[in-house]
Amino acid sequence: MLARAIPGCEGLEQTGPDEYRMKMKMALASLSGAFEGKVKITDQSPPSSFRLLVEGSSKIGFVKGEGLLKLTPSGEGTEVAYEGDAQIGGTMAAIGQRLIDGTSKMMIKKFFEKLAAESAS
Amino acid sequence: MATTIIQTEKLVGKRIRRREDPRLITGTATYVDDMQMPGMHHAAIVRSPHAAAKIRSISIKAAAEAPGVVAVFTGKDTEKVGPVPCGASLPGLRVPHHYILAIDRVYLVGHPVAVVVATDRYLARDAADLVEVDWEVLPAVADPEKAIAPGAPPVHPQWPDNVAFVYNQEGGDVDKAFAEAEVIVKQRITSQRLIPSAMETRGVLAEWRGADRQMTLYTSTQVPHLVRTLVAGMLGLEENRMRVVAPEVGGGFGSKLNIYPEEALMGFVSMKIGKPVKWIESRRENFLCTIHGRGHVDYFEVAAKKDGTILGIKLKLIQDQGAYHQLLGPAIPTLSVLMMPGLYRTKNIRAEVIGVFTNCTPTDAYRGAGRPEATHGIERMVDILADELGIDPAEIRLKNFVHNEEFPFPTATGLTYDSGDYAAPLQKAMGIVDYTKLRAEQAAARKQGKLMGIGICTYGEICGFGPSPATPAGGWECGTVRVEPSGKVTLLTGSCHHGQGEETTFAQLAADELGVDIDDILVLRGDTAIVPYGIGTFGSRATAIGGTALYYAMQDLKVKMKKFGAIMLDSHDVSYANGQVVCNKMGKSVSFKEIAAASYRAMKLPPNTEPGLVSTHFWEPPNFTFGFGAHIAVTEIDPETGQITVRRYLAVDDCGNIINPLIVDGQVHGGVAQGMGQALWEQAVYDDNGQLVTGEYTDYTMPRAHMMPWIESQHTTTPSPVNPLGVKGVGEAGTIGASPSLVNSVVDALSHLGVRHIDMPLTPEKIWKLVAGGKN
Amino acid sequence: MIPQTFEYTAPKTLDEAMALLASGGKPLAGGMSLIPMMKLRLATPEHLVDLGRIKDLDYIREAAGELHIGATTTHYSVESSALVRGKCPLLSAAAGAIGDPQIRNVGTMGGSVAHADPAADYPAALQALEAKIVIRGAKGERTVSAADFFVDAFTTSLESGEVVREVVVPVEQAGTGTSYLKMPQPASGFAIVGVAVRVQRSGGKITLARIGVTGLSNIGYRAWAAEKALEGSAGSADDITKAAALVAQGIDANSDLHASADYRRHLASVYAARAITAAASKA
Ligand SMILES: Cc1cc2nc3c(=O)[nH]c(=O)nc-3n(C[C@H](O)[C@H](O)[C@H](O)COP(=O)(O)OP(=O)(O)OC[C@H]3O[C@@H](n4cnc5c(N)ncnc54)[C@H](O)[C@@H]3O)c2cc1C
Repeated sequence: MLARAIPGCEGLEQTGPDEYRMKMKMALASLSGAFEGKVKITDQSPPSSFRLLVEGSSKIGFVKGEGLLKLTPSGEGTEVAYEGDAQIGGTMAAIGQRLIDGTSKMMIKKFFEKLAAESAS
Repeated sequence: MATTIIQTEKLVGKRIRRREDPRLITGTATYVDDMQMPGMHHAAIVRSPHAAAKIRSISIKAAAEAPGVVAVFTGKDTEKVGPVPCGASLPGLRVPHHYILAIDRVYLVGHPVAVVVATDRYLARDAADLVEVDWEVLPAVADPEKAIAPGAPPVHPQWPDNVAFVYNQEGGDVDKAFAEAEVIVKQRITSQRLIPSAMETRGVLAEWRGADRQMTLYTSTQVPHLVRTLVAGMLGLEENRMRVVAPEVGGGFGSKLNIYPEEALMGFVSMKIGKPVKWIESRRENFLCTIHGRGHVDYFEVAAKKDGTILGIKLKLIQDQGAYHQLLGPAIPTLSVLMMPGLYRTKNIRAEVIGVFTNCTPTDAYRGAGRPEATHGIERMVDILADELGIDPAEIRLKNFVHNEEFPFPTATGLTYDSGDYAAPLQKAMGIVDYTKLRAEQAAARKQGKLMGIGICTYGEICGFGPSPATPAGGWECGTVRVEPSGKVTLLTGSCHHGQGEETTFAQLAADELGVDIDDILVLRGDTAIVPYGIGTFGSRATAIGGTALYYAMQDLKVKMKKFGAIMLDSHDVSYANGQVVCNKMGKSVSFKEIAAASYRAMKLPPNTEPGLVSTHFWEPPNFTFGFGAHIAVTEIDPETGQITVRRYLAVDDCGNIINPLIVDGQVHGGVAQGMGQALWEQAVYDDNGQLVTGEYTDYTMPRAHMMPWIESQHTTTPSPVNPLGVKGVGEAGTIGASPSLVNSVVDALSHLGVRHIDMPLTPEKIWKLVAGGKN
Repeated sequence: MIPQTFEYTAPKTLDEAMALLASGGKPLAGGMSLIPMMKLRLATPEHLVDLGRIKDLDYIREAAGELHIGATTTHYSVESSALVRGKCPLLSAAAGAIGDPQIRNVGTMGGSVAHADPAADYPAALQALEAKIVIRGAKGERTVSAADFFVDAFTTSLESGEVVREVVVPVEQAGTGTSYLKMPQPASGFAIVGVAVRVQRSGGKITLARIGVTGLSNIGYRAWAAEKALEGSAGSADDITKAAALVAQGIDANSDLHASADYRRHLASVYAARAITAAASKA
């Protein structure tokens, strides 16, 4: 489910309890990059919340995201709230404020849309 | 032999167009990147994406096997190359060993870890991506105040408090001044990090000829002779086997007054591969790996009497040094201390400077180097004091200026101001803008809810760096004048100008001094094999010191010319005038050309007469020179958006005698643009992890022509007694005067809302919040 | 600053280009957005298909009450064209507000819309103009509205292998007042906020209001609430202020080094009020 929710994720491989190695391709307008990294789930208190750690690095820099996801059933579906922090480094950090804000928002949005879709199915 | 004396037209003081400009503006000048050599290789440098990390391992296999790659070197290979030098010395200064390639740990984003050498630049760059580094990322700290707070991650583990040095200076009786004060004003004032942004990035081409044991290093630098001495030392090479050439240098602003790892690294690579190798810095590397400027947090306190008389000044200065000391880094804030009393008479000062390590690019000299920070501080404080006391900012300045009869004036910080008439430029500026009328207009505008500000800055500048005791590598300069057998004149100067226009001003000086046609004069610089020796161009010193060295060389040359003229005229009573030697009795003369030819042909010289016409002079200045001036900025603010419009900008500078007013105006314009850049737009921003967020021009706001207001440049002239030319210096004046006048102007526009200070840059959002919230 | 190796083809016709794109090529227009990304290796296309040599993509034509602007028409051409200035002044104003002269001389209409930068100028104008984007794909052409074309930051409804062929905007009716105002981000020139307004009046009332906003959100959008508030009103200063206050309603505003979300929202209202006032004064 995670693999399908993470935008551009090309495969998750379990490396430990709640820990995965991830390959991810980011393609966005002209920006593209192949990332390798890991995903870790901690602080699980099912079904209402868990903490997600995503780390990836590529030639163009690295991303590190940490977020607390809160799932609250509401009516038919589940409301997903997210609180988190992302770190970007390397060349990517310099590509422009405009790009970073827009892109990260979009990735997060996509993630939740997919997560919501996946959890609904 | 001619018998008439031609009165040549004097060129000093004329607005002559710059002789260097045609090649610069048509793009036909030769920079390092334009140089090609047979067998030349290209280097790409692998750099850290992390601000702090340990290197677990580096794998170079894939890169070494990539097409076109001839060698890959890492820190293990270059470990024996000497460290990148820090030339500043302060008591207790902590100097981290600055390897040219990281060994096992990196301290900033951009830290070089490996170099890939290939047959072309593209293949080198491709292969650089194949170097794999296994990092253990460590916590980083990017803010100097956070770095010295307890619990901050140590930049260098051996110094967990991140303190690079503490420097104290005191003059007079500060405690008494503060005890007697009727009013004390305090303010925290920052001078943000800036990225120097020379139009040409750095570049190095090293050519090692093993059989000759000769290294030629072409590098974009302001200080070729220093590079030779220091890089030869790093490489363990005899200094006289190294030649350093600074071809055309596309600006520096202090950022090329340095020794960089890549200079030694290219030398190392060339010696290893036995071929020339070139590295050209990308703009991205320039943002990360060439020094930054400023980076101050200042805590100012000023004690005064109710009538506005300043009694004393205290300053606690936190200087963000970055991860390493570059050549002069730790010395820069000490210049701020020297300049902290500004143009004011107070004899009581106390300064504490704390140099702080952060996981950021090292800071060092950037146009003004320490003086803009100091001037910004004191000029803001004087305005704050004026506001506190309800005194007009012009009046409070006039009240505190050093008096004309007090020159040479010994300052509280140990300097001696050479000459001045500090009220003159301020009064002239006030007259030009009609200050009284402007204030009336401002009052009327306020009634209509409009925001208009008038900002004054009166600055002093330490120019002509400097007497040797005050300048790390020596503060003299060397000038040579060589008359060729054909009568052409070649000037060799150790001042390695790189856009300032000395090719023109020095030629003007020589044309007048020697009485020859300016077109017969060639000015050469920037090659250690051509110029006997030199210090370089920085610190508004080239004309005051380099020009003076040439002046004295020319005096010596004239003595030689007279000697030859006397022989040729067979007279003991001759004088030199207008390019001729004249027999005072008979009125007969020999021309410059004739003497030149005879001096080299040496046919009829009496015994023990040295042939040839070359004179060299090393000139050591007895003191700095001190330029000064007054800038006035009139601004308007859009209260809805916070946008600032600079309605009028007037600079009245006193740089002593002026050789070429056109060039002086150009220096003022460029300087003001840079000061305005700091005041309104520029800032190097790091995130908490030490990533440079403004890492490209898409986020780092370089001022551009369309953003500039009209800059009016006017002058008063107070000759300096320090040198025979009476010149002071103007390279940094505009930058020093601009930021305080602009910030003072904007704060003035908002002062009725209770605003007393705003830190730079004055972004519209900051201003909007102040207008909306009404408080700082 | 050196891109990864790539192939480069400059076809002369659109058909040739389509074939190259179908086999994985990436369109290159002015290169003002793509090349900087390639130099930083943030973009690593293997094959660039330069659209710049295709003659029948660079045009501005009027037909049946609409202006057709070919994909490779430069911003400068749009800005300076007498036809656009006369018949769709909002578009030429937006073009003239892009970056600086060097950028406008090279950057193109097609490249700008395809890139879908959230701070680009055209999207605001195209939304206010209810423009249409004509897309050419392997299977032929389709036309989508600007509202459907811009999907998210840097994301459009273009499928892979498709290109923007032209942008179609209406010829303004007499009596339509328009205005495009922006606050540029000082470093890049892109919009911190840009507001495009079209207004028609009749019988002392505002009969039509179209407001496009850029820079504020992930995409250029139409400020429906503000439009509604304006339409039917007399267009007084008070009406304008009230309407302008609604332009950022419900928007998750961008926030970065240059402007916080609050400031952006505030600016959107200020610029909207100014642009509406300017447009209304011409209507
Ligand atoms: C310094 C600077 C300042 C700028 N300031 C502004 C500004 O203020 N406002 C503003 O709006 N823009 C600004 N821009 C962006 C500029 O307008 C670009 O021209 C524009 O974003 C892209 O157009 P281009 O023709 O250069 O496209 P390119 O860079 O060639 O291409 C951009 C993207 O679109 C794709 N593409 C190109 N043409 C087509 C097509 N016909 N069909 C499908 N895909 C296509 C490319 O594959 C690529 O992914 C600025 C750019 C720079 C460098």
